[in-house]
Amino acid sequence: MNDPWLMLIVSCTVFVIGLIGVIFRKNLLVVLMSIELMLNAVNLSFVAFSKIHHVLDGQINALFVMTVAAAESAVGLGLVIAMFRTLKTADSDQIQMLRD
Amino acid sequence: MSILLIVLFPLIGFLINGIRYIISTKKGTKISSQQSGMIATFAMVLSFLVSVYYYFQFNGQSNEVKLIDQNLFSWIKIGAFHLDFALRLDPLSLLFSLIITGVGSLIHLYSIGYMKEDASPAKYFSYLNLFCFMMLNLVLGSSMPHVFLGWEGVGLASYLLIGYWNLDVEKVMAGQKAFVMNRIGDLGFLIAMFVAYKYVGSLDLIEIQKSTMSPFVVTVFTGLVFFACTGKSAQIPLFTWLPDAMAGPTPVSALIHAATMVTSGVYLLNRISPLLIQAPQVLSVIAIVGVTTAFIAAIIACAQKDIKKILAYSTISQLGFMFLACGVGAFDAGVFHVMTHAFFKALMFLGAGSVIHALHEEQNIFKMGGLSKKLPITTITFVVGWAAILGIPPFSGFFSKDEIIIESLNSPYGNQVLFAMALLTALLTAFYMTRLLVLVFFSPSRMDKDVEEHVHESPLVMTFPLIVLAVLSLIGGFWHHSEGAHENSQMIMITSVAVAILSAGFSFYRYRKFDSEEQTNNFIENGLGINNFYNNFFGKGVTIVSKGLFRWIEAGIIQNGLKFCTWAVEFSGNVLKSFQVGSVQVYLMMMVLLGLSLMIWVLQGVMHGVLIYGK
Repeated sequence: MNDPWLMLIVSCTVFVIGLIGVIFRKNLLVVLMSIELMLNAVNLSFVAFSKIHHVLDGQINALFVMTVAAAESAVGLGLVIAMFRTLKTADSDQIQMLRD
Repeated sequence: MSILLIVLFPLIGFLINGIRYIISTKKGTKISSQQSGMIATFAMVLSFLVSVYYYFQFNGQSNEVKLIDQNLFSWIKIGAFHLDFALRLDPLSLLFSLIITGVGSLIHLYSIGYMKEDASPAKYFSYLNLFCFMMLNLVLGSSMPHVFLGWEGVGLASYLLIGYWNLDVEKVMAGQKAFVMNRIGDLGFLIAMFVAYKYVGSLDLIEIQKSTMSPFVVTVFTGLVFFACTGKSAQIPLFTWLPDAMAGPTPVSALIHAATMVTSGVYLLNRISPLLIQAPQVLSVIAIVGVTTAFIAAIIACAQKDIKKILAYSTISQLGFMFLACGVGAFDAGVFHVMTHAFFKALMFLGAGSVIHALHEEQNIFKMGGLSKKLPITTITFVVGWAAILGIPPFSGFFSKDEIIIESLNSPYGNQVLFAMALLTALLTAFYMTRLLVLVFFSPSRMDKDVEEHVHESPLVMTFPLIVLAVLSLIGGFWHHSEGAHENSQMIMITSVAVAILSAGFSFYRYRKFDSEEQTNNFIENGLGINNFYNNFFGKGVTIVSKGLFRWIEAGIIQNGLKFCTWAVEFSGNVLKSFQVGSVQVYLMMMVLLGLSLMIWVLQGVMHGVLIYGK
């Protein structure tokens, strides 16, 4: 695992998996989880670039992202719960009120 | 003293009465005809007095002095072209101002009595003053645009006054007809102005008179001006509006459609007379049109039953005489006839108004008769007018009319045909005028009983103008000194008087005991079908063209084009609408796809750069 380029490939793969999850999964909780996956993929690439260029900025950024992601998931979960309470569903196909 | 005053007084009168009318309609109060009539009449009399002052100023002066220019302000200034708004008084415009303000004052005075029961006399009198203001601008204007201003202004006032009783659709239509027919003539005036601007470079009337244009341009210019005159002065081909214009109040017919506005064509021809002499073809056209109009109108007048229509056709006929005079180069005779005609025709119209007033709006001469005993003053004054139009010496019409008839033979532009036609017209004139006179005043009464009981002579305010005009019709002929009589002129004079008296005698004999309605020829009564011809030919022609345009251009091209535009918008809207599904995830996918394609595009550019520059 010393090759940073391998880390970038893993990061890319995880990011795409997360993206596909966000776009195609219907359960909002799973969508949230996929977002976390994408964030972590980005973290991974930060760390990888930090290692390639021998600077610490990327690792600091990764720490920041982690804190922000924690806050984000708390807010997101809150939103999903609120939505579930009012609409009685967590299925994204049922929630299409942007159209009207 | 300044010339401006002549023009200014009617304008002030117009403004006062106009404002009074507006205030009264706002407040709902009623204005008496006396009050507003006195204001309007006073304005006219003041204007008349100023004109008289200038008459004495000019009297006995040499011709060079008889020209006063008054520059009011600089009107148009474009590059090298410069035009002043200026009034100009010379003997010709002075004579017209005297007629307008003098006869105008009398008719204003008469209107006070005639419009006594009218609902909005202030409006009426303000229109009347507006007319006089515009007419004075027409004759006092120093440049063509200034004359045109007056020319259009009198057209407007005429339109307003013909349709004055605007609750009657027919009268409103008559006003519109007059306006539209005049408009056709105005086109000639406008184009003549363009020609003058291009080839003279100035629109000042004196500059135009002095200018040296090529014969062709002179012919075009004078021809166009003449065409404009046929509209305003009711000559062939644009004369059909004048009989319809009789829908207006009778004093209006007397002022606008007999004494002043319709003679503005003669005024304009006189203004450009130095140019007309250079265009003999136009002169002969004017003479032919004039005499033909005179003759045709006289024929139509013989078959009319409406007293005002007879006088209207008679006016057209007399205007034809004036144009004949201009056409044979006897411009002075034409103007002289304008003056005498203003006197006796205004007199006859006002007399007719007095009769109509007495008989409660009855205009059919076959429902009148025997009025000489009940309307003595009207009868006597009308007889004076009748004698004047027949040309019986020493009445004013004799001098002017005979001068025209003599000139139509003796002048270098005259010939036997014009002379014969003129004489024939004089014969017809005597016939229909006597017919009118006898049927209205002397034959047995054919009135309804209840109308007959209420017949009464008009009040002094109406008879006074009649008496003054009768005196003027009697002595008006002595103002003019005819010079250089030919040896045959005495013969012609005797012939024409004899013809008139014989014709009048025949007419008198025929109608003296008439007690039923005359069977007139419908075709002649309806103006020889000229109205119908215009309706069918021009009216329907325009309608057909308009319908074609509507079907092919409007419905075909424009409407379908618009339909295509709406369809295109709708279609593109529908296409774009399909992207708006409402699901966040679909939007996200679109975003991702867009971002990807952008990335590919940028990367492609980068790759390209790498390939080209090797970097």
